[in-house]
Amino acid sequence: MLDWSIIARYAPFFVTGAWMTLFISVFGIALALLTGLLCAAIETAHVPVLRQLVRVYVEVSRNTPLLVQLYFLYFGLPKLGFVWSAEACAVIGLGFLGGSYMAEAMRAGLQAVPEAQRENAYMLGFTKAQTMTRVVVPQAISSAVPGVIANVIFLVKESSVVSAIALADVMYMTKDLIGMTYSTYEALFLLIVTYLVILLPISILGTWLERRFDHARR
Amino acid sequence: MTERNERIVLRVDGLVKRYAGADRNVFDGISFEVPRGKVLVIVGPSGSGKSTLLRAVAGLEPIQGGTIALDGEVIETGRPGTERQGRAKRSSALRTKIGMVFQSYDLFPNHTVLGNVTLAPILVQKRDKAEVEAEALRLLERVGLADRADAKPHELSGGQRQRVAICRALIEHPQLLLLDEITAALDPEMVHEVLDVVLELADQGQTMLIVTHEMQFARAIADRIIMIEGGTIVEESDDPDAFFTHPHTERAREFLRTFEFTRHRHDHGA
Repeated sequence: MLDWSIIARYAPFFVTGAWMTLFISVFGIALALLTGLLCAAIETAHVPVLRQLVRVYVEVSRNTPLLVQLYFLYFGLPKLGFVWSAEACAVIGLGFLGGSYMAEAMRAGLQAVPEAQRENAYMLGFTKAQTMTRVVVPQAISSAVPGVIANVIFLVKESSVVSAIALADVMYMTKDLIGMTYSTYEALFLLIVTYLVILLPISILGTWLERRFDHARR
Repeated sequence: MTERNERIVLRVDGLVKRYAGADRNVFDGISFEVPRGKVLVIVGPSGSGKSTLLRAVAGLEPIQGGTIALDGEVIETGRPGTERQGRAKRSSALRTKIGMVFQSYDLFPNHTVLGNVTLAPILVQKRDKAEVEAEALRLLERVGLADRADAKPHELSGGQRQRVAICRALIEHPQLLLLDEITAALDPEMVHEVLDVVLELADQGQTMLIVTHEMQFARAIADRIIMIEGGTIVEESDDPDAFFTHPHTERAREFLRTFEFTRHRHDHGA
């Protein structure tokens, strides 16, 4: 059975850890969203050269583990003279990984808008900018929202890897607690509860957002 | 020449169209014109390029030869080697002069019915919002949809959406309205409500270029009818009744027969 006294004693550490998880996640996901938007725009606009670079980035980012990316940033780059804080490495790593996932979700959203919508806008005299802002992007958002939300949740969970570069997130606290007290069950219980407390509201918000934007779909 | 031009809204002269990678032209020098206030109907078998012709006039497809003139002014000159180019670079103002309704009822799903109709005149033509909304409601009233102004497109039937699409094109007061098989995707019982609206437009003097498979409608609405096949006009007539009852060419007779249903009860041959 769980020892509730241990849970009560160590719960504050998990609150501290949760803040670190949130901090890394919020900035990492913001970076991922920006990267994704930029990449999706480049791919959709068929910008030469940049488009090929985006493809290379997406493949590298998606096909290497976050842990490897973090090791490269935290242990590899200093050898080349770039020394970044663990926090910076975590945010950049999460943004690097998430950027490709976000790019694919957003690109899929843009591609889901039927060509007929652009043709109608053309016939009505819309400029390219008006076509994007009034017709294409609103519909692309409604198609992309479910994928983007799924990526947000995926990235928050993936942030547990940052404990490997000594950042005191919830995963780090768990390993610490297990190492110090051998209270494996209590530590894992606290870990799962903390993730649920962070992720359930995001999940609920996601469902709400999906419904909120669904009007723009057929 | 000038006097003649004023009468002619659309003149297509020697239009050549070829698809990228194709070994022959879809059209090899087609010419026709649409006088102001008149309705030209294009018929022809599937794959004859009727829709492509309309899309070329609309600027949605590049042309490889010939000219397209609107109101006496050449707006498109075909050039060989342009097969892979996208939509023509036409000014916003020019594009508003040609309205188009497509086969698939593609209203903007993120706007209401009223929003669909008012968006372009407000955004593109910079017209006064109140004036535009009043006109939009009058148009919707005319097509029997004033009470659905606040509905979203997905709440409407296909026939209702096509009527809204017609309003959306009309509110910009286009010189020329292109209708590309606008009832082809509709359930049969909805075809009439849409075509009635178009017939009314013809009575009010709207210049139109129509592609349709509805032969009774074509006969009722056309001032001039042309049949295309194999890249050329195989038959044309200013008398739609005569076109349907006494076509000159064997090909037209054959085509028109495909719309007839007769049961040959004693014919067990081919």
